[in-house]
Amino acid sequence: MPSSEPPVLEVEDLSVSLGRTSVLDSISFEVAPGELLSLMGPNGSGKTTLLRTIVGLERPARGAVRLDGKDLRDVPVHRRRIGLLLQEAALFPRRTVYENVAYGPLVQGRSLSETDTEARRALELVRMQGFEERNPATLSGGERQRVALARTIAAHPRVVLLDEPFAAIDAGVRAGLRGEFRHVLAERGIAAVHVTHDREEGLFLGDRVAILLEGRLRAIGAPATVYDAPLDVGTARFLGYNLLPEGPGWMAFRPQDARLDPIGSVGLPVDVLAVGFTGRGSLVVVQCASGERLEVELDRHAARPRPGEHLALSWERSLRFSR
Amino acid sequence: MADPGEPVRSAVGDRGAWPVLPIIGYVLLFALLPVALLFGQGLWAGGGAGWIDALTQSPLNRQAFENSLEQGSLSAVLAVPIGYPAGVFLGRYTWPGRSAVRAFLLVPFLLPSIVVVLGMLDLFGPSGTVSSAIPALGVLGHGLPAIVAANLLFNVPIVILFTALGCESASSELEETAATLGGGPARAYRDVWGPGSWLGAAAGGFLTFLFSAVAFATPLVLCGARCYTVEARIWYLDQYGFDPTGAALLALALFLFLVIPTAIYLVLLHRLRSSSSSVRTRPRPGRVRSPLAYALAAETIALLGAVAFFLGTVLYRSLSPPGGGTFGAPWAELFGPAATHLLGIPLVQVLANTLFFAAVAATIVLLLGILAGYALGARPRLATGLSLYLFLPLLISPVLLAFSLAEFWRPVLGGESTVWILIIVSQSILALPFALQSLQIPLAGLSPAARDSARVLGAPAWIAYLDTDLPQVRRGLLTAGLFAFALGLGEFTATYFLVTPNFATLSVAVYDLQDLRQFPLAEAAAGLLLLVSLAVFAAVNYGGNRAEL
Repeated sequence: MPSSEPPVLEVEDLSVSLGRTSVLDSISFEVAPGELLSLMGPNGSGKTTLLRTIVGLERPARGAVRLDGKDLRDVPVHRRRIGLLLQEAALFPRRTVYENVAYGPLVQGRSLSETDTEARRALELVRMQGFEERNPATLSGGERQRVALARTIAAHPRVVLLDEPFAAIDAGVRAGLRGEFRHVLAERGIAAVHVTHDREEGLFLGDRVAILLEGRLRAIGAPATVYDAPLDVGTARFLGYNLLPEGPGWMAFRPQDARLDPIGSVGLPVDVLAVGFTGRGSLVVVQCASGERLEVELDRHAARPRPGEHLALSWERSLRFSR
Repeated sequence: MADPGEPVRSAVGDRGAWPVLPIIGYVLLFALLPVALLFGQGLWAGGGAGWIDALTQSPLNRQAFENSLEQGSLSAVLAVPIGYPAGVFLGRYTWPGRSAVRAFLLVPFLLPSIVVVLGMLDLFGPSGTVSSAIPALGVLGHGLPAIVAANLLFNVPIVILFTALGCESASSELEETAATLGGGPARAYRDVWGPGSWLGAAAGGFLTFLFSAVAFATPLVLCGARCYTVEARIWYLDQYGFDPTGAALLALALFLFLVIPTAIYLVLLHRLRSSSSSVRTRPRPGRVRSPLAYALAAETIALLGAVAFFLGTVLYRSLSPPGGGTFGAPWAELFGPAATHLLGIPLVQVLANTLFFAAVAATIVLLLGILAGYALGARPRLATGLSLYLFLPLLISPVLLAFSLAEFWRPVLGGESTVWILIIVSQSILALPFALQSLQIPLAGLSPAARDSARVLGAPAWIAYLDTDLPQVRRGLLTAGLFAFALGLGEFTATYFLVTPNFATLSVAVYDLQDLRQFPLAEAAAGLLLLVSLAVFAAVNYGGNRAEL
């Protein structure tokens, strides 16, 4: 969790270009010991490039990355003590699970007994005891990611970077795996930066969350703060707010803050386009006269409208953004 | 789990795999069957089980095997350490002109062997460009050193390309992960990309051995009978020794001699291809900054310079022979009556023969490629079996192929007037394994989705193939065809074995002219053949995919 201790990772005014294209522009943030920062953004926003730059796989055009106060500019990747977990687990195919997990301590020059202790402890932490002699090819996606996490932890990183590690995992396994990762990292007190395009995952996992749009950091803070009070229209759109043009700017409201009433009630006249069941209730897609399509979340007790119905849309709470 | 490199079978509308039959039939009728009959005939006439003893009683036969082993091993052992650093530089680092260099490295492979041999004489022969300036290097103008040097010119680029492919087959994700776990560059080499590079270099080494052990033109011209490989000895026994039985038995022994290195090469190639098709790679991380990278770059530049110097010398000497004379005169004479008198037919006809045979052989390869594409779309599981089958001609050396075709197909087709058919057949069979390599990767990557859509929309199987799959492998097919054309243009061994004067090709003309001591004319013909080959090579790279060995 965030603490008053000095930050373990500092990213300051970081800019990165790939070829002639500017991918990241003046990114700054800090990660406290044991903290998990979720960095959210749509595809192409520069999330992966940011992680690759922190770990040393890309060179920044400007700015600095510091670990425990030390500038990493001239520190090669293998000496940075920053772990990286990818969407594909990237396990060594011709090594067993145990050999994969023992790889880090071994290449760092630890003794065999120390390596063995570290590897077994890490495997136990991710509940993969008994899989030591298995070939990675025989594991499920979730098991592979747990082995990859064990391998990362066994290498004793100061910070772990998670690059959408759950994106290729079946939905049924994903939720449990997220919780397990969160627990393991907290248990070991390892700071982490997790990137995802899935806002629910980011909000769930992060002690703090940050929004990265078009290479710029638009917001950073506690999940509820960032979600409840987006600072600009781009962030609001990414977080799932409905947007309506209003004068020279935009008006935004959340789907769960909206309601639909019979026509004639106070509200914006809309046509119902589609209605779907979500488990918790219904999701209704409506279109207003100006052509905007908006989403409304209704709880299970609310009456489900029918496609084609004319209704009045109203909302409890809204935000306003200038253009 | 399915192999990621394996094509997915279409889920819609089964179609038959019958088009595989013409491919199987073609190789069977014109390669496997004649060779098997030749072996059977040799064994029948040569006394059955004791044939190996009988064969090895001849000191010249034993010498030929020793020569094949020596020339093959020496060439492979030298080609690997020379080619490996440049292969690593090509496969691991990003630098301007990298793809052009990769393409250029295929030039020596496509060079006609007779042109290379003549080039060696141009550089290191008695009045060679290099040996005149540095007499000590005259040692490369004759004998074993000359043969090995010529083999290296062909084969070092092969080692470079295979090593580069091996380096590129390493997963960049795995390499990055190893680094974040604390593994430095040496560990990354040992654990991630080094093994692939060794695999590539080993595959290149074995292919070098295979090519060098059955070399024909190099021992024939650069050394003579005492350096004959088994290949040259078979030719000699049949054509001048009047001992077809002995030649057939020697061919059988050569076939058996090649089985193990060919099998090892195919296993290495399969592992290399499967690892390179199963990984996602980002652009290579390496940029030329470190002293090691500069050293690798220097070696690569030196090798490229040597190849360019070699090609330049061949072209220059073809225009300006060392004895003096007007610049360009040999080219003019080449098309004149003197050359016609020496060759028996005008050079224009020689050129027409060359282009015609190569074009028809390439068309055959292309048609077989189209049929293979259709069959593999229907039955992707045929891929391994079919590619192994199409690699069988690798076991059949050019002389063995030509010898068996001459023995069994020439009488069937009606004698010497139909020799041109056999030349075309031999060129197509010899080109098949290499040309279809260029097609294998695009075929393996065929997505059935578009084909399924076409079938669902009502297209018959053939139309769906032509409309969806064929456009996806069009460039691969074009490359395969051009590759076969280039190999046919320069093919010397089998053509020389089969040819009669009326059907002479440029490579045969080069050999005949130098055999008649008409060196300026031979060099002019070699220059012409080189230019034609370079033009085709340019077309391969301009019009098609990157060609694969």
